[in-house]
Amino acid sequence: MRSVFEARNLTKRFNGKTVLDGINLELKGPAIIGLLGRNGCGKTTLIRHITGLYLPNEGTATTFGTPSEKLGHAELVDIGFVPQEVQLLDWMTVEQHLEYVSSFYPEWDTGRQQQLLDSLELNIDDLVGNLSSGNLQKLAIILAVCHHPKFLLLDEPVSDLDPIVRSKLLQFLLEVLQEDEATILISSHVLRDVEKIVDHVICIDEGQVTADAVLDDLKENLVEWTVHSSAGNLPDVFSEAYILEQEISGRQARLVVRGNAGELESFCAAHSVEVTPRPLNLEDMFPWLLRGGWS
Amino acid sequence: MILVVDAHSGIPVYRQIVEQLRFQVSSGVLEPGDEIPSTRSLSAQLGINPMTISKAYALLESEGVLERRPGLPLVVRRQGRASERSSKLEQLEHALRPVAVKAKQMNVESSEAVEVFRRLLDEED
Repeated sequence: MRSVFEARNLTKRFNGKTVLDGINLELKGPAIIGLLGRNGCGKTTLIRHITGLYLPNEGTATTFGTPSEKLGHAELVDIGFVPQEVQLLDWMTVEQHLEYVSSFYPEWDTGRQQQLLDSLELNIDDLVGNLSSGNLQKLAIILAVCHHPKFLLLDEPVSDLDPIVRSKLLQFLLEVLQEDEATILISSHVLRDVEKIVDHVICIDEGQVTADAVLDDLKENLVEWTVHSSAGNLPDVFSEAYILEQEISGRQARLVVRGNAGELESFCAAHSVEVTPRPLNLEDMFPWLLRGGWS
Repeated sequence: MILVVDAHSGIPVYRQIVEQLRFQVSSGVLEPGDEIPSTRSLSAQLGINPMTISKAYALLESEGVLERRPGLPLVVRRQGRASERSSKLEQLEHALRPVAVKAKQMNVESSEAVEVFRRLLDEED
């Protein structure tokens, strides 16, 4: 694994509002990393530091070992970026735009370009200005990957795409991972899609990193328990430290628990109850990830 | 090889793959010497991250269910009788655990519960 981006005490403010607050994180690859967070939490701001569009107010942001203020052609040529707000040259056709952007890069894979045009169903003669938002997203994606970037950044890339196209795109990202040994950072609200392909998850809330962990570890460590007592009512409250949330009613309770199977057995023994555990998926876990402490 | 995984389940995908492959080996669907698809092809087939598949394969290899041969695809390893039997019993125990919990919650006598299980096993298909 190599480090592609590092933020150390990264702080960024706009008009007195602190959007990123002393962030520390390291992105390593090859991998597919999900960047999660609510709207306005700082995801896009963080991504812009990676490409050097923004410079930190305090702390450092380093991409491929180069600080953001020194990023130049040498680094940018290995990065692919799909922004959330796609802004392209309206008056060009799809074909012309592809040709135009390809000229910035030393190598452009026209085979991959054609493969994507076919699979994402984009017409090269269409005027960019007339493209639907979904088709603009598709074009933005093709523009970002044909130079085989080592680091691919996607900011809400699938929000306007239909399920068939989304699925093709996600499949394609897996190919990029394997063929190019790329590090892919995908920021998306569509947690179901992200969940299929990421191995690592980073969660940002109010300018802070609240989770930075392997997805499988999170799934194994955040569980919902249905508690049943065969012998009388349950106590009013359970005081075990690993219980994040509890809802108790008579002989039954629902708990959200941080931890693993070991605690379940001792909990059952301690309270003379049976527990049916339910593992939580990414969407279930999301509110908990925002609360912090998952690193 | 057919695997059915649910990426939206709270159960990590690598664990689902491990459990299904263990079951396929125990039930004879996969036999010793059968080749296992490469990480890349299974990743394309299931639409999941290849690292997840590597994780599952590595675990199965360390358990002795799969075997790596230099330069060749992974294969199902020939298992000793004893370890085959204990693996089947472990899987059965895992499958029965939630049922045992239910029986306890309903205060069913263990002898009665076992009798129900025996009847189910004896049922003609």
